[in-house]
Amino acid sequence: MARVVHPPRNAPPLWKNEGVRWLVFAVVALSLWEVGARLYNSPFLLPGPSRILEEFLKTPALVLAHAWITTQEIVLGFLLGALVAHLAALLLIVLPEWLEDFIFRAVSTLNSIPFVALASLVVVWLGVGGIGSKVAIAALYAFFALVYFVHKGMVSTDATKEELLTSYSASFVQRVRYLKLPFALPIIFTSLKGAAMAAVNGAIVGELFGAFQGLGFMILDSRYVGNTARVFLAAVFCTVVGWLLLGVLTALERRFVGWHLEMTRKG
Amino acid sequence: MTQSQTNPHPTPSAASLVSVKDVSMVFPTGTVALQNASLEIAAGEFISLIGPSGCGKTTLLRLLADLIQPTSGSIRVGGKTPEEARKSRAYGYVFQAPTLMEWRTVLQNVMLPLEVMGVPKAEHKPRAERMLALVGLEKFARHYPWQLSGGMQQRVSIARALAFDPQLLFMDEPFGALDEITRENLNLELLRLWRETGKTIIFVTHSIPEAVFLSTRIVVMTPRPGKIETVIPVDLPQPRNFETRETTRFFEIATQVREALRKGHGFDVQE
Repeated sequence: MARVVHPPRNAPPLWKNEGVRWLVFAVVALSLWEVGARLYNSPFLLPGPSRILEEFLKTPALVLAHAWITTQEIVLGFLLGALVAHLAALLLIVLPEWLEDFIFRAVSTLNSIPFVALASLVVVWLGVGGIGSKVAIAALYAFFALVYFVHKGMVSTDATKEELLTSYSASFVQRVRYLKLPFALPIIFTSLKGAAMAAVNGAIVGELFGAFQGLGFMILDSRYVGNTARVFLAAVFCTVVGWLLLGVLTALERRFVGWHLEMTRKG
Repeated sequence: MTQSQTNPHPTPSAASLVSVKDVSMVFPTGTVALQNASLEIAAGEFISLIGPSGCGKTTLLRLLADLIQPTSGSIRVGGKTPEEARKSRAYGYVFQAPTLMEWRTVLQNVMLPLEVMGVPKAEHKPRAERMLALVGLEKFARHYPWQLSGGMQQRVSIARALAFDPQLLFMDEPFGALDEITRENLNLELLRLWRETGKTIIFVTHSIPEAVFLSTRIVVMTPRPGKIETVIPVDLPQPRNFETRETTRFFEIATQVREALRKGHGFDVQE
């Protein structure tokens, strides 16, 4: 895909730089947190950033090992959920209308069961050990965050564009490739970001229901022994993993739907 | 000035490129969009379908393109059924809206039919570039459609329709949404394209001057039910230019068209 043609533009001022903005935010937020925690002076209820860092430095390798497990669950679950959501959306488009309607009802029913109940069942079915059950739960969360939007995006193409492809006698696969998918891509990317956050939640929820490793396990384990700083530490790592995933998705979004960002900016 | 032709419908004989025989189109709602239409079009003609809303002009074009199927009657496009003609990529279709893919550059939009139709990859770019040059937009190849004006976008869509070198060009009010000045310029440009490429063009419009200026024959259509009222030959000499619009003959033919429209109660036509 070709680059967007930019009008000549001056270098943006420093305070408009994304990295600079994050840095300023991090410094201000962490300082306020640290000051607040020290004034409150109750490390059991509210440990400050320095206390959490201290906790990390006690067993860095172990914490990173937990984080690595959870990261794998999140990423694999996200990819699996996204893949199945896209296949399901495509299937829904090709199926006859009555079957599409039936499956939509099934998906909606499943979607209205509380996720926590589903998650506990998945752990029963797939077992506590290993990452399989957690990957499945993360995938489930990601799937439901995506499937409606992918489907909606691909059926919302305008009728004239579809007719243009009819006039070319395009096949269904060509219709998807040249129209439906690129048309849906902006909304797909927006939903993928939501799905990534959902996958983080799914993996942690899965670990809370049954795991011997991972950040969710670390949260439960630390809470039992009253180590609040360690609970915070696990939460911080969850945030970091989520952000990394969002960062990758944002970069991919710029690469693949840069045209849309540019077009909507133009107004 | 009165209309002298008594049998207005079929004219070109044996070697008609497009042949419409007794075609009717009734929509499921019961609307008779087209009633017993018959028309013969020879290769190389520039035919305008003119009439008010509801006269069936767009319906007729969509029938020829196999975007819809007639209730009764027979249609031949290049000796084939409309479906066969569509599958053999016999025509390019230009819609009222430019219908460009916003995620593709101008050049990539013109390349789209070549990609879909499996034209050898090496030919895509040179052919698309040639088509863009034909409509005078070679400098905008790397722009996105939404960075261009409406008139430029419609020129891209014409280049796209010509890219795979179809014999026929179907155009459904392609300049309807444009301002008068842009429209007159594009009319001139379209006539030049028609002369240079030798295509057969079937052009839907609701503008009398546009139809007279462009066409070799004008098919006058009237509504409720949609039908072909008459066919008026346009004997203005080629090549036509801005002065053509000032000639007496131009006004005479425009008057003929207007009177034919009145006869069929097609009042609400743009002058």
